[in-house]
Amino acid sequence: MNDGNFGQGEYTGDGKALFWLALRTGCLTLLTLGIYRFWGKTRIRRYIWSSARLEGSRFEYTGTGLEMFLGFLLAVVFLAVYLGLIQILLFWFGLTILAEPQTPGQALLQMAGFSLSAVAVLPFIFFAIYRARRYKMARTRWRGIRFGMEKAAWGYAFRAMGYWALTLLSLGLLTPLMTFRLEKYMTDRSWFGTARFVQQGRWTALYGCMWHILNGLALFACGALSLVLDTPMLAVLLLPVGAVWLVIGVISYQVQSFAYLSRHKVLGGTVAFEASPRTRTVIGTYLLGALLLGLGLSVVTGVLGGIAAFLLFGRDIDPTGGGLQPAMIPPVLITVAGYLLTLIAARAGALALITQPILKHYVTTLGVTNLPALAEIRQRAADTGADAEGFADALDIGGAI
Amino acid sequence: MQGAAHLYDGQSATRHPVQVVLSRERQALVITGAGHAAPLVWPLQDLRELHDHADEGQLILTRHLETGDESLRDPARLVIEDPEMAAWLRRTRPRLARRDLRAGTWRRIGLRAGGALAAVLLMIFVILPALAGTLSRLIPMEKEIAFGRDVKAQIERVFGATEAGELDCSGPDGLAALDRMVARLTEGQEIGYPLEVSVIDHEMMNAFAMPGGQIVVMRGLLEGADGPDMVAAVLAHEIGHVVHRDPTRNALRTAGSVGLLGLLFGDFSGGAAMVFLGERMISASYSRNAEAKADAFAFDMLRSAGLPPSALGDMFERFRQKFGDDDGPGAHFASHPRLSDRIAAAGAASTGDSPHRPALSPQDWRALQDICDIRANTRDSD
Repeated sequence: MNDGNFGQGEYTGDGKALFWLALRTGCLTLLTLGIYRFWGKTRIRRYIWSSARLEGSRFEYTGTGLEMFLGFLLAVVFLAVYLGLIQILLFWFGLTILAEPQTPGQALLQMAGFSLSAVAVLPFIFFAIYRARRYKMARTRWRGIRFGMEKAAWGYAFRAMGYWALTLLSLGLLTPLMTFRLEKYMTDRSWFGTARFVQQGRWTALYGCMWHILNGLALFACGALSLVLDTPMLAVLLLPVGAVWLVIGVISYQVQSFAYLSRHKVLGGTVAFEASPRTRTVIGTYLLGALLLGLGLSVVTGVLGGIAAFLLFGRDIDPTGGGLQPAMIPPVLITVAGYLLTLIAARAGALALITQPILKHYVTTLGVTNLPALAEIRQRAADTGADAEGFADALDIGGAI
Repeated sequence: MQGAAHLYDGQSATRHPVQVVLSRERQALVITGAGHAAPLVWPLQDLRELHDHADEGQLILTRHLETGDESLRDPARLVIEDPEMAAWLRRTRPRLARRDLRAGTWRRIGLRAGGALAAVLLMIFVILPALAGTLSRLIPMEKEIAFGRDVKAQIERVFGATEAGELDCSGPDGLAALDRMVARLTEGQEIGYPLEVSVIDHEMMNAFAMPGGQIVVMRGLLEGADGPDMVAAVLAHEIGHVVHRDPTRNALRTAGSVGLLGLLFGDFSGGAAMVFLGERMISASYSRNAEAKADAFAFDMLRSAGLPPSALGDMFERFRQKFGDDDGPGAHFASHPRLSDRIAAAGAASTGDSPHRPALSPQDWRALQDICDIRANTRDSD
């Protein structure tokens, strides 16, 4: 197959190296009260990006911690004013219609008032999702050529709100429409150098990816029906199986819709993509990683707990005396430090044992056809990056990397 | 020193196999074969490497260059896989690892950080309190009273009640005495709320005002007081909070600043603790002001009821004997002004106290102190 026309993705990242990098940056983040997280995230991305290779050339992440930090400060100014005002107004609104609601209408109004605070940040969340992807694209290079995305975050936020509303109103039946159209909106505004990406395909094709969700729901419905028909034995069997099947179905939808959408992307009119990630492998990798992480963490907490208990034991502590006694301070400090270190180790471990192996599976099952056309692509202008993920960071979205 | 490498020129996605040699003066790398007629010359002092690179067998070089990019780097990349050349460069060029900052970076950081800090402080200390004051006046009174009952129920739950009103003390003579005391204090005064004073069966030496005219006195305060005047003084202070709408305003302001602090500290280990601490500090700086105003209100109220303002000072003296004054760094987190200052203020307010009729008669005072012999739930089960 390898005739110079087709290139398969490769991933060479090492779990141990990534774990130590994440642990070091995590500790520095703790010591700097969270400020270092921008530099830490940047360093982890540089490692992960440079682990991915296509046709002998590694990807490069060129973002800087400094611009992320400055972007965060910018986002804080906007969001501090906005969130402070929204929160106080909503609380007041809640108060003025509080008291035991007399009519169903009032009760509904009260519920609306409390859920409004989530709705109030929703446009910013979608805005931040688009901006974060644009920033990541603008800071990704391959063979020295920049990726990029157009400035269209508000258009995305409005469409995302609309499609989410449609999906909720249709009880999830229109999920493929939302998945497809939102991805198409982003893809059609993405570039590699002078070449533009285009999302092809049909949204109805994504219904094929929902097969396992439908199975899970059907089992659930059968279980509920058997409850009504007074055959609890059947329900005991059907409901848990249905629940597990539903979870698998959701993951399967995410993996397979990604695969379909990737297979139907075209770059510069001629470069096409192959994507064949397996849901089985993703779930298996996740479970194995979680198992290893759980084992590792229980050993670590066991050792730390033992040290704390050993230090506490044999000290001059009056068990009947209340309050904090001086002899208790070292063990308490060790416990707090141990807790924070375990938390940082857990994050680093999840990155190395779960996130990276799954990412590796995605990258290695991705292929590019018509490689020679890539060499014709020219450089594009630099993007300032605007808030450099500041909004995404302030709103706590964006995930592990 | 010479060898083979690959060059991405930063202009096209073509991969150029190139030859790299050290220039004759040993001042630059000369790169030939990049599709250009003339070889590229990269001065050695401008060479920089890419950090955190996953492949240890590769050294990726770029140049320090004034560009409009995110960093001061030439978009061109030279990929060196020849181990000898990579080792030579790493050994002889310590500048490879240098990170170059654009001129004026520190000024930009300072401006942004200062601006963000100013915006947050402006919100927390000016805009949110002002808004809380305005909004607290716009709440219909019956809603505020309902909110106050809610808050009281929550406080009771904190002190171990499973249902609202369970801890309320209801000795009939004690309640009558309490009513007489409140009536004497509020006679001829405009409170603005229907006052609901209740005693809770708990040993804590304290009293609270809640939104909508609710005041709760703990049994511990009745037991710790030397006489009815001290209890009346504390009541006058809490009535001051009610009149100034402090509890409602405080709840509104807290809602705003917690939302804002959650945004600032939300994303690292221990963030919730920082939000709590931050809110404590902010609310302390407000309530110190509110406490001083409530004290001043209490002095006036006591005087017009024919009671000595010094009674409040006496009560604070009891607090100080019991808990000690809060000095040192902890004082900044304490939600009340320093007791010694407040005792001094009470002394200053009560120059020349004449002999007076105590707030309650001796038998009423005894009845009030015994009010918790009967609790709401025990009476119900009689």
